[in-house]
Amino acid sequence: MSEVTGVEKNSGLLIKFCWVIALRAEATPLIDVFNMKIVENKSLFPIYANELTGHALVISGMGSIKAAAAATFLKNHLKINAYSAWINFGIAGFYRDPIGEIYQANKVVSKESGAAFFPGLRLSKLIPAATLFTVSKPENGYEEKALYDMEAAGFCEMAPSFSCNELTYVIKIVSDTPNVSSSLISKHLVRELIEKQLSKISDILAEIEILVEEEKKRLSIPNEVLEFEKRFKFTETNKYKFREIYRKWKVTFPSRNLDLSEFLNSKPKEIIIKLEKEVLANAKDWNVL
Amino acid sequence: MIETIFFEEQIAEHQTTQRIRRALPRANWVPIDRYQELFNKRHQNFKLQKKNPALILAKKYDNFVLPVPSGFGMESHKSFYFSHMYNCLYDCKYCFLQGMYSSANFVLFVNYEDFFTSISEKINEYNGKTLTFFSGYDCDSLAFDKLSGFADDALNFFSEFPNAELELRTKSIAISSLLQRKALSNCIVAFSLSPAEIAKSLDSKAPSIGRRINAIKKLTNAGWKIGLRFDPLIYTADWQKLYSSLFSEIMEGLDPSMVHSISYGPLRFPKNMYKKAANLHPDHKLFAFPMEDANGVISYGTKIEKQMHDFLKSELTNYTSENKIFQCIS
Ligand code: SF4
Repeated sequence: MSEVTGVEKNSGLLIKFCWVIALRAEATPLIDVFNMKIVENKSLFPIYANELTGHALVISGMGSIKAAAAATFLKNHLKINAYSAWINFGIAGFYRDPIGEIYQANKVVSKESGAAFFPGLRLSKLIPAATLFTVSKPENGYEEKALYDMEAAGFCEMAPSFSCNELTYVIKIVSDTPNVSSSLISKHLVRELIEKQLSKISDILAEIEILVEEEKKRLSIPNEVLEFEKRFKFTETNKYKFREIYRKWKVTFPSRNLDLSEFLNSKPKEIIIKLEKEVLANAKDWNVL
Repeated sequence: MIETIFFEEQIAEHQTTQRIRRALPRANWVPIDRYQELFNKRHQNFKLQKKNPALILAKKYDNFVLPVPSGFGMESHKSFYFSHMYNCLYDCKYCFLQGMYSSANFVLFVNYEDFFTSISEKINEYNGKTLTFFSGYDCDSLAFDKLSGFADDALNFFSEFPNAELELRTKSIAISSLLQRKALSNCIVAFSLSPAEIAKSLDSKAPSIGRRINAIKKLTNAGWKIGLRFDPLIYTADWQKLYSSLFSEIMEGLDPSMVHSISYGPLRFPKNMYKKAANLHPDHKLFAFPMEDANGVISYGTKIEKQMHDFLKSELTNYTSENKIFQCIS
């Protein structure tokens, strides 16, 4: 499939979508379509990524605990940012035919602990939603009108803390039902089921990307702030104050930039005071509109 | 509009749930145990959730009616508030709900009857005293009314207690349930208003000021008493001119005797709430003003607050008697 490439350890900066997938057969169609290369193959959890397409993927193996652990490993290994989306993707059992349908799980329940999770914003305009039960061994009874998998609950327990619940998604394709036994699932069938849904998956990603971009804009720290923080030794308290007054200053004077040369001999506190004074001076002609 | 409804299984058969089910048959109905399973949990993102909020139908068990925080109501009355709903259809930049909850999903407590039982207990407890009950503390009283049907039930209830006042606080123009019935003398429909330009920038998703004023006039023509709420007051260039023309636009053709009360209040945030709100709207000018921090309360500062207070008080006395004008500081 792919060789180890030199994706930087801080490539998380460019990653928008983080996939957590149990089996290689489920991962391969996505690795191929998003042109991901392996970046970590020595650990228990192989990681694939492509900075250009903005995708990273970890293969977790089966089970809830492994899904949580693999997601954490991916987060730490590539230093994924707080605005990236996390997607647990794969095949699942469902209480009714046909196989091949794609669903968003809007409620995930751990059969073991009873804990319930409600991941993601609902994408109802694109795909139907269903409740999903995460079980610890393969389910053939399909007792509830729901999807069945073995990973999502563990994933949902962990992934929202990496970004937020609204950027955490569980997307499943039906592979087995009471009429189509799970014993019929082959690598070939998995690939076929997933490939048939690639265009739908691309629509889903386009929708999620809007949220990712919005969060990226909200959370990003402007380069000139980072430059100043590198150049001057701010204490933690002053760093907070500097960022806060910079935000106000920038909103007040959107076309201005911080000019390093103006502050060469300044102490961090003096930089903060100067920006505060400028914002305050503008307050008497304040226009909120 | 609402695509997903989470409902507590215990209230699946409740008449309010059933009515909403009939109104939204195509929504995705998902059973849950308790609303706290998904409301206000850690790692939720208010701003993203606000893009496509779900409705959660729940049952409330306690604290149906609470005393209002000091500075909220008219001091002369004993006042209480109740929240049959958490969160709001609108998305005002200054809204304290975004600082209070991490969740933007709407929670509707369907057991209205238990609210009314608690209210009647309070009325009995304070036998003979005039009590005011504020609805719309954790929500907008009318914005969701087409679906919730709450106002109608509340008005039926309050029609039997002429000594108790009900204030419905709103920015909504969903007033049809009011117009369809005879005006209730102990109900005040209180509209929150700002100059149109300011509202356009800050009151996202809420009806325009023109439409709110229109609703006010329809209601007064139908005999409903109105409250005018200028809270929070927003400081901006030409604010005197903007507020002045807002007042004259509202009062033009309005019978002043239909105005029950006018109140105004400064923009203030507890420090933590301000931080959360600014964090959600880092690029908005509302959160770029050099606010003052006094004892953990973020405000425009006493100088601006006094200027605005003095101006409003003097302007408003042109339209109504002083005893109908109140300053609210929450
Ligand atoms: S109308 Fe009131 S409750 Fe609704 S968002 Fe605006 S301020 Fe908040």
